[in-house]
Amino acid sequence: MDARELAEKVRARKIDPVQSIKEVLQKIKRINAEYHYFTTICEENALEQAEQVKRNPKGKLAGVPVSVKDCICVKGVESAAGSRILEGYKPVFDATAVELLREEGAIIIGKTSQDEFGFGGFSANVGIGHQKPLNPFDRQRSCGGSSGGSAGITQKADFPHISLAESTGGSIVNPASFCGVVGLCPTYGAVSRYGLLDYANSLDKIGPMAKSIAEARLMFDIIAQHDEKDATSVPHGQRQKHKEKNPEEMRIGIISYVMGDGIAEPIQEHTKKVIERLRQKGIACKEVALPTVKEFAIATYYLLATAEASTNLAKYCGMRYGKAEQLKGNFNDYFSDVRSRNFGKEAKRRVILGTFARMAGYRDAYYLKAAKVRTKIIEEYRELFKSYDALLSPTVPILPPTFEEIGNLTPLAQYMLDALTVGPNLAGLPHMNLPSGNAQGLPVGTLLTADHFNEHILFRLGEILEG
Amino acid sequence: MQFTTDIVIGLEVHAGLNTKTKLFCGCPNRKAEQPNTLICPVCLGHPGSKPVVNRKVIEYALRMGIATQSKLASELIFSRKSYFYPDLAKNYQITQYELPICSGGKLALKDGKEVGFIRIHLEEDPASLVHQGSMQESPFVLVDYNRSGSPLLEIVTKPCMASPEEARDFMKQLITTLGYLNIFDANDGIIKADANLSIRESGYTRVEIKNITGFKEIERALIYEVARQKQEINDGKNRVQETRGWDADKGITFSMRTKETEADYGYIIDPDLVPITITKEMIEEVRMRMPELAPQKIQRYAGLGVDRTDAEIVASELELAELFERALEEGIKPVFAARWIRRELLRVLNYNKKSITDAKVDERQLFTLFRLVSGKKITEKTGQRLIEKLMDASFDMQEYVEKEGLLAVSDSDQLEQWCREAIAESTKAVEDYKNGSEKSLNFIVGHVMQKSRGTAAPEEVKGMLRNLLRNTSAL
Repeated sequence: MDARELAEKVRARKIDPVQSIKEVLQKIKRINAEYHYFTTICEENALEQAEQVKRNPKGKLAGVPVSVKDCICVKGVESAAGSRILEGYKPVFDATAVELLREEGAIIIGKTSQDEFGFGGFSANVGIGHQKPLNPFDRQRSCGGSSGGSAGITQKADFPHISLAESTGGSIVNPASFCGVVGLCPTYGAVSRYGLLDYANSLDKIGPMAKSIAEARLMFDIIAQHDEKDATSVPHGQRQKHKEKNPEEMRIGIISYVMGDGIAEPIQEHTKKVIERLRQKGIACKEVALPTVKEFAIATYYLLATAEASTNLAKYCGMRYGKAEQLKGNFNDYFSDVRSRNFGKEAKRRVILGTFARMAGYRDAYYLKAAKVRTKIIEEYRELFKSYDALLSPTVPILPPTFEEIGNLTPLAQYMLDALTVGPNLAGLPHMNLPSGNAQGLPVGTLLTADHFNEHILFRLGEILEG
Repeated sequence: MQFTTDIVIGLEVHAGLNTKTKLFCGCPNRKAEQPNTLICPVCLGHPGSKPVVNRKVIEYALRMGIATQSKLASELIFSRKSYFYPDLAKNYQITQYELPICSGGKLALKDGKEVGFIRIHLEEDPASLVHQGSMQESPFVLVDYNRSGSPLLEIVTKPCMASPEEARDFMKQLITTLGYLNIFDANDGIIKADANLSIRESGYTRVEIKNITGFKEIERALIYEVARQKQEINDGKNRVQETRGWDADKGITFSMRTKETEADYGYIIDPDLVPITITKEMIEEVRMRMPELAPQKIQRYAGLGVDRTDAEIVASELELAELFERALEEGIKPVFAARWIRRELLRVLNYNKKSITDAKVDERQLFTLFRLVSGKKITEKTGQRLIEKLMDASFDMQEYVEKEGLLAVSDSDQLEQWCREAIAESTKAVEDYKNGSEKSLNFIVGHVMQKSRGTAAPEEVKGMLRNLLRNTSAL
């Protein structure tokens, strides 16, 4: 039974949503004790919603359990972006995406674990006092990140469930790939960011994670609404969709540089198989080059993302937001102390990097130059989408590593592993991880990228490959 | 920079715009009696909340840009100015940095000198900090977010004013312009200035004085600071570049910091706010609806024969100018209306320490009064008394004048009778006058005025008395 079938049965009063949520809550508590996918399980809140759905069973997600990444605000439920500095912070409002899901009868069951504020690709940079989510296929290994908890529970759940995740530089497709689930990072501006605890506002996107394309699409269609509360939300009239095509008319660009060095052997093998299957369906596949993306995307991403992040995190200083501690010394001493003690190591690293990149004397060389390169990167993609319907590459260059292996990587080596995902994130392009098999008992994912607001092409290709 | 004057002043002025709602949220933009009542997640900077531009401010800023002949930007872009301070909910202020909405405008002073602008830009006001007693001694600090997120217009002038008086006049002209454009509440709005001051004697070492409220304070603060610096130089002290505060109560400036370097605010474009294109059509729309401004009004009034100073004073406040124009519509002569508004109406307003808006003068009765005086139906003296009375409460002017018998007496028999009586009753004064004392004549005039209860025209009485006294001396 998938989410659609569950909703249908709840609407037809064949399933009691209260009973079904009670069982789900028991299950996730058991799973969580072992795998740490949740920072908070909101039992009371979930039961209350289930009662409401029971009284009035309607909506496309009637009674469907939905988990929400910790950085997305859920009214009255601790929403801390996985950070100790926000421990106990309960928003007074729902994020717009959460509100839309609730309107369709979804039941929020908990907040999923993540790298603190999204700062990582392995969910290994969890906030102080938090536990790392463990890969559902091998607990020694990483779930990917930063939406690691969302991907883990989506794979592990043996009940209908969809997760609301978030990506800044690859945080949806990367963990989806490591956990073998579908993850869609929508076009920037397609889903409202209102209620998202910001990492980098010009890059953050909220999107679904699910076991199947159909479920991911179900959630996407609900949350992809224009929102006046988010100035970057794009009105529907401006979302240009290309027309639907038959497979024989489609052209896919295979990103050439990711098919060689730096990509693990089994991943290359898998990707070749996927390309073969697409060709069999009559889809033309041709190698394409993205020289600017290859050369500059990672540097550009880390400059812009950290510059924005360093301003976003400023409010967590123990004054209005962030752990309040005993007042000592002047304001500067006080907030420095609060921030030193409650931000994790990677959060501090990114605040320092980002602050540096925007300071006088460096601003032109780093922040402003990165903004210019970003425009070039967008142009490079635009040019390709004149001739191609989608682009294809592996999602991550390696199989899920063990935490020990991750510990041995320098921060720079870790950043380099984002090579395949930062491009579409910088360009605000919709991209999706599609599970495409296993190697050494671990999942492998394929990354599909389409032109702005053409998520439907990704769904179509996904269905072709899934079938 | 090469300075040529002894004193060099540049101003950075913050004016609170009178929009209905705040700059980035729907909260009312006004004062409130209770702290923290006009707030929402956006102006409190709640994690997850996002700003959305109040489009009205674009129109307001464009009005100012057009009025000051500024270059208008083609896009509205906001930046984040980062610094940690307890009044900033987000620890960054949303302001304009890269591309101000207006640049290179100017505003004329009373004497025609033009003050050039570097830029005019929009930004949000921080919260207000409330201390018990002074900031240094208060055991706590309270934060009131009612003001947080209110729209401010920042006007940065070139360092081109040469005296505290010019700075004062600039502030006056600026407030007048903002009021005329109806983007600032001249009675209730917040207007604050930071002044940069350099004097020749110090080799033009720059001192910044923060947070001066109002145009009178600007002059006071600058006069004080110029004198203070000259004194220090006389005492042989070296002047350093510093930032000083203005204590209006004590009337002194005090040193805040002497940091040589500029603060580094690490500006980035605010990624929550997409750039808004300012189209030619938007600008034209605003231009078409621009009100007539003070300089144009002064010209026009002068063209009607109004005395230049009367025209300047009437045009210096929009409410006065509008009152003047309504008086003309009522058929009152321009020269008379301007003179009476300036000399009589402003006299009683100043005496009552009221502005034209809060005095709530009954205009219909005021215009009746103007008509009675200008038509010589009552004397100026009676008019002056009645305008004072009108400040307290409204009454039917025509009826009152008739009932109280205040109509000017033009009946010469009656006048002559009063004059004769007065002469008879003022033997001493009459004698003195005959001995050459002009002052004594005024005494007799006063006596006649008393008898007539102000209804006699003094000039006419004087003439008649001279005649009568000449005749008596001839007798």
